Amino acid sequence: MIYNELTRTCFENADCAGTASGPDWFRGEAGGRSRGTWVQFDVQVKLEEGNADEGNSDEGRSKEGGTIRSVRFLAFGCPHVIAAAQWLAERAVGLPARAQLPESVQSLRRRFEVPIEKLGRLLVVEDAWVAALRGATRAD
Amino acid sequence: MSTPAAYLDYAATTPVAPEVAGRMAECLTLEGAFGNPSSVNHDHGERAAALVETARAQVAAAVGAEPDEVVWTSGATESNNLAIFGIAHYYRDSGQHIVTARTEHKSVLDPCRELERRGWRVTYLSPGPDGVVEPGQVAAALQPDTVLVSVMHVNNEIGTVQDVAAVAALCARSGNARLHVDAAQSVGKRALDFGAMGIDLLSLSAHKAYGPKGAGALVVSRRRSVQITPLLYGGGQERGLRSGTLATHQAVGMGTAFALAGVDLTGEAERVGRLRELLWEGLSALGGVHRNGAAARSVPHILNVSFEGVEGESLVAAVRTRVAVSTGSACTSAQRDASYVLRALGRDEALAESSLRFSLGRYSSGADIETAVDAVSQAVRRLRRISGA
Repeated sequence: MIYNELTRTCFENADCAGTASGPDWFRGEAGGRSRGTWVQFDVQVKLEEGNADEGNSDEGRSKEGGTIRSVRFLAFGCPHVIAAAQWLAERAVGLPARAQLPESVQSLRRRFEVPIEKLGRLLVVEDAWVAALRGATRAD
Repeated sequence: MSTPAAYLDYAATTPVAPEVAGRMAECLTLEGAFGNPSSVNHDHGERAAALVETARAQVAAAVGAEPDEVVWTSGATESNNLAIFGIAHYYRDSGQHIVTARTEHKSVLDPCRELERRGWRVTYLSPGPDGVVEPGQVAAALQPDTVLVSVMHVNNEIGTVQDVAAVAALCARSGNARLHVDAAQSVGKRALDFGAMGIDLLSLSAHKAYGPKGAGALVVSRRRSVQITPLLYGGGQERGLRSGTLATHQAVGMGTAFALAGVDLTGEAERVGRLRELLWEGLSALGGVHRNGAAARSVPHILNVSFEGVEGESLVAAVRTRVAVSTGSACTSAQRDASYVLRALGRDEALAESSLRFSLGRYSSGADIETAVDAVSQAVRRLRRISGA
């Protein structure tokens, strides 16, 4: 398998690998190790100033409108999966917290030059990302 | 300039030995034996034909066959196809049942599947966890209309050696079944005697034994008057079994390589075996490491290992700048495609998918092993951290 420069760089420097937890951290995962691809994201979301004061307690408050402060990930999968997870973890910091990828799966596929037959593996990355951000943005 | 990766993928292919390359080069240019070996009406052709026949004798001698039993092919894949389709079609009126093993190379399994589509019946034997197909399994699978048993000598993924002599005896007793042996990985690693073992058809490859790619042979037994229907028709070369202009340089390369392969077979096996065990000791210190296949029943140059908590493609990618090895899984599909050989041995999906095949050879050194242990250990630790294993 030939990997492009971005894939190699992100795969070899997966500095965001790890886990984190706390009141502003939200976790989502997808896939399965037994199926060859598994990804977990821990996303820290900072509330906007105005949002943080709304409501009388944490319960019931929404993170919609919040900002991604930090991301950690774990990934069991091929280099494309690890590279995509690392890239997202780096690039998402500072972006609005929304339950969707910062760019489409097709765009990620082009960016990392992932063979079309491996598209399903990127969908696992997307599912894990959305699961984490859904936790951050939904009203509990 | 970066240091080249330690090459530990000799079961995939070997570099052409310098002596072999030199002999091949002598067959290519105007000053050399460039003639068509079939054009024996002039000196150029006669000279080429003589070299081809010398090479044929070298190949035959390396495997205990007679020169006139050797049919040149483009490699073991063609040899396997010629043997399986050739026997199936020639003997179709005396039976349409074939016996083979789940751990055979794809170039055996795919022709068998194609024959199934055409109406033949195929019994696929499952080896034990050690990778061995017991002769008793073959005996139980033989039927009155079995025309072919195809069992490899040395498995290309785990190195297990099958008892082909015992299987040959069973086939001979059956009267109707011929034994085909894929010996692509055998030459230079394990002694093989085509005649004494009672094999009917033997597939050989040049490039696994320091010869050129694109060269191989099928040895067809005259002792049992084995007949095959050809795949290729045309000029009638190779007694009509494989038409096409003979590639003098390829035949000469294969003959030279096979002659060299027999030099100090025992000493080389001991040297490579010691290196393999050093490699295993180094890797097993990681923990969560499993050896695939039975060491006692395998050739010394192959070590197949599964690593818990890592994905095979990532492991190969992580070490590729320092060590060249093969992974047991196919890496292109959306669905993981774990090694079917390891799955046949009973390995679960995860371990079958996380395997590496290290294969050592003539130019492997202690430094290569140290590099491999260091590179793989670092990569496994890093990937386990990334995956949270």
